[in-house]
Amino acid sequence: MDTDSTAIADNVDGAASKSDSSNVVIETRSLSKVYRDFWGRKKVQALKPLDIEVKQGEIFGLLGPNGSGKSTTIKLILGLLFPTSGRVLVFDQDASETKKNERVGYLPEESYLYKFLNAEETLDFYGRLFDMSGAQRAARVDELIKMVGLDKARHRQLREYSKGMTRRVGLAQALINNPDLILLDEPTTGLDPIGTREMKDLILQLRDEGKTVLLCSHQLADVQDVCDRVAILHQGELKELGRVDELLKVQDVTEIHATGLSDSAKQEIRDLIARSGGEVKSIDNPTTTMEQLFLQIVRESDERPGMRRVSEREAAQGEN
Amino acid sequence: MTLQPEDFWSFGEWLLRPGAFFESALLQGIALIVLAAVIGLIIGYLVAAARYGPSEGFYSVARIIRDFVREDAPGTSIRRIYALARLAFQEAIRRKVLFVVGLFIVLLMFAGWYLDPKSDDPARLYISFVLTSTNYLLLLLALFISTASLPNDIKNKTIYTIVTKPVRATEIILGRVFGFIAVGTLMIVPMAIASYFFVTGDLNHTHQIETSSTLSDDTVVGQTTEDRGHRHSFTLDSDGIGATDTQRGHQHPVYLEDGEIVVGSAQGMLRARVPVYGELAFFDRSGRPAQQGINVGYEDRKGGFASAGLARLVNTAGTQARRIQHGYVEGASLSRGEYLFSGVTPSKYPEGLPLEFTLRAFRSLKGDIITGVQGTITVQHPTQPIESNPFRFEVEEYQVDEQFIPLEMEGTKITETGTLNLFDDLVDENGNVKIVVRCIDPGQYLGMTQSDVYLKPAENPFAWNLMKGFISIWLQMVLIICFGVMFSTFLNGSVAMLATFVCVVLGFSAETVYEARYYQEVGRNMGGGPIESLVRTLRQDAFTTELDVESAPKMIIKSVDSVIMYCLDLLVTALPNLPKMMQTAEFVASGFDVFGGLLLRHIATTLCYLVMTCTIAYFFLKTREIAA
Repeated sequence: MDTDSTAIADNVDGAASKSDSSNVVIETRSLSKVYRDFWGRKKVQALKPLDIEVKQGEIFGLLGPNGSGKSTTIKLILGLLFPTSGRVLVFDQDASETKKNERVGYLPEESYLYKFLNAEETLDFYGRLFDMSGAQRAARVDELIKMVGLDKARHRQLREYSKGMTRRVGLAQALINNPDLILLDEPTTGLDPIGTREMKDLILQLRDEGKTVLLCSHQLADVQDVCDRVAILHQGELKELGRVDELLKVQDVTEIHATGLSDSAKQEIRDLIARSGGEVKSIDNPTTTMEQLFLQIVRESDERPGMRRVSEREAAQGEN
Repeated sequence: MTLQPEDFWSFGEWLLRPGAFFESALLQGIALIVLAAVIGLIIGYLVAAARYGPSEGFYSVARIIRDFVREDAPGTSIRRIYALARLAFQEAIRRKVLFVVGLFIVLLMFAGWYLDPKSDDPARLYISFVLTSTNYLLLLLALFISTASLPNDIKNKTIYTIVTKPVRATEIILGRVFGFIAVGTLMIVPMAIASYFFVTGDLNHTHQIETSSTLSDDTVVGQTTEDRGHRHSFTLDSDGIGATDTQRGHQHPVYLEDGEIVVGSAQGMLRARVPVYGELAFFDRSGRPAQQGINVGYEDRKGGFASAGLARLVNTAGTQARRIQHGYVEGASLSRGEYLFSGVTPSKYPEGLPLEFTLRAFRSLKGDIITGVQGTITVQHPTQPIESNPFRFEVEEYQVDEQFIPLEMEGTKITETGTLNLFDDLVDENGNVKIVVRCIDPGQYLGMTQSDVYLKPAENPFAWNLMKGFISIWLQMVLIICFGVMFSTFLNGSVAMLATFVCVVLGFSAETVYEARYYQEVGRNMGGGPIESLVRTLRQDAFTTELDVESAPKMIIKSVDSVIMYCLDLLVTALPNLPKMMQTAEFVASGFDVFGGLLLRHIATTLCYLVMTCTIAYFFLKTREIAA
């Protein structure tokens, strides 16, 4: 196989859009978090200084194995945790500001809901926490219950719900205020394949409505399908950041799709390629799967600390 | 029922303490709230400083204050508080706390087996029972629901979905508090109603006619049967209307029905007397004014410590002894107790003065054991030597005696004897009149407190008085809820419950702490502070002996103890005085109206603690990492 050294070099993630900060919905500035025990002794560095920006209208994925700092990041963004150092700005306000929550929707890792309420009461309760009139609230609750497909179960207490159903109520409560920014912590866990598909469609639909979605997941397929950009975290450290399609491009392999070759020609395929005799339909960088990329990062992590993308790009620039 | 001097204060006197503002409730309340804020800030600073370093800690505390003033206080919305309160309410209800009401009803159903309706004062027994059982049940319940909820929310992480909505710390706290108060209210109302019907229903009884004889003028006299340990004699006039005599505080109407004599239901058993108290002054055996009456033994153990408020803080009240409860006057001497009543006007008392009293007797010799100790009551002009002839009475201890002072009575005006008019001769132009109580049996003593002799111009309905008793219980419940919610913002469920419980216990033992401190301050050996007590316990020393250790360690022990006792004193002074609030039950059970000033004081106290606990809770919730 031929080595394609003229790989697409412009996979610098959205460098163009970095300048217009008005579009930035979430910005973390060397955000880090150290968990301490009761006596203030350092237990674990959950997040090493992290700088990311999430722009308006994109679906941003936080990706990483268990304990990589995904949930910590989301909690820091929501103000559920206080950063050890650095800052988070959401809609240009500090994460600890309560006001920002007017425009934020959050689906927690597991649906932490009040089990003694039924679906309608749950949504009604969360609706009351926002500035909504009674009629508005009732309409919104009804709309959301229908949207997540719980119309028939709306009067049953949540304790009777299956995990998937609880998840749907959780999603509905995150959307109750029609938020501009939606944070989804493991949105597809506990959902069946159909539910997963619906969730993904919904996420895409929200994006199309102009909303910003930040999701974290270790379900790699989800991220691959829906995310515009991903950040890959491992051991609290940012390893990769970029557009999904670009991250998945394999740069040192060329893939050729060809038709119109006779049986005899197949014999000579190596020669034909060498001499460009056949009709080449496409020559492109093949894509790997997210899974492979992921495993590769985890494997390399111990050998090469720090952000993977940076070191590689520097190497590439050195070559050029 | 015995009242402490501070119980007579009006709401205004209690709040402002004219002349002794330093001891006032208002100052204490302000101090508590300010202290809460300061402690909240200091702890908030320490937590933040430990986490981020001293200067960053300062910054984060400053941010909390800024948040409170600029965002949280003005941004707190009634709508969200209501939503959160509703949630707390629903949670409690769906956890089936109403079960407690059912438990209470069952308790009432079986209570009849254990409460003796033959007792001398069945009304007191029944009322005490319902009020005390409701009180403890509700306080226990308040303790459980208020401390479990927030830690549960944090543990189950349901709080994540709340704090990521535009909900402020103030709203979370107030929502909880109000939600639990609603739960408590929902429980106390059926309990109160059930109590009312239980008391009125179970105390009611009638008698049958046992003997009767018709007199010459067609009046029927006779005796009823003995029921519930007592019988009445009755008279029935020729029109067929009559009544029994008063036994155990009640009487029955007697009437004719179809030619038969019928005894009606009991009346006057459940009362709410509205007493008018006077000022009491004692005079010793030679007739000179005395500070207090004679202490016949242990009276100084029963009286309370004077309410000193912040004065305890600056150590001026530490050496204040307990007051004596009943002061006694000696029989057949010039010793006497004088009650000065004011506001005695003909419009208020058109028919005379309805005087009631509950005096104690102390016999220093056996004497005539058939008749009780005897005393007299004399009506005197407050300034001039005008006085009525003495009204004699035989003291009935632990029961309310009645003496009606008529408008016209025999007496002496300066030198001449004759008929005196109450309002013309004895009451001065300002409506003041003196009632003098003496004991006439030589060697015997009569004991009295300010609350023991009073005028009774009116009665309030019993149902309203019982309700005031329940309002007081409700207020205590609110206090427990406030403390429970406060502790649950930074402690986990069971620890928060324990902390609240400790606060309640400390509140209950305020007097004990004051006493220990008093003995320490005046240098009397009475066991000493905690360390000294421990040493004595280990050495098996009696607690009134001199502490038998070397002088150097003794000094250390004593000084450490005095610091501990001082802190403990401050702590119990800062905590709500629950026994004082529970006293309202005693009012209702004794048949006295819970006067408005007292209830107002309890309401003001509760409000103060609501503000204080919410302030502390706010700081803790703000400094706390919800997800940590």
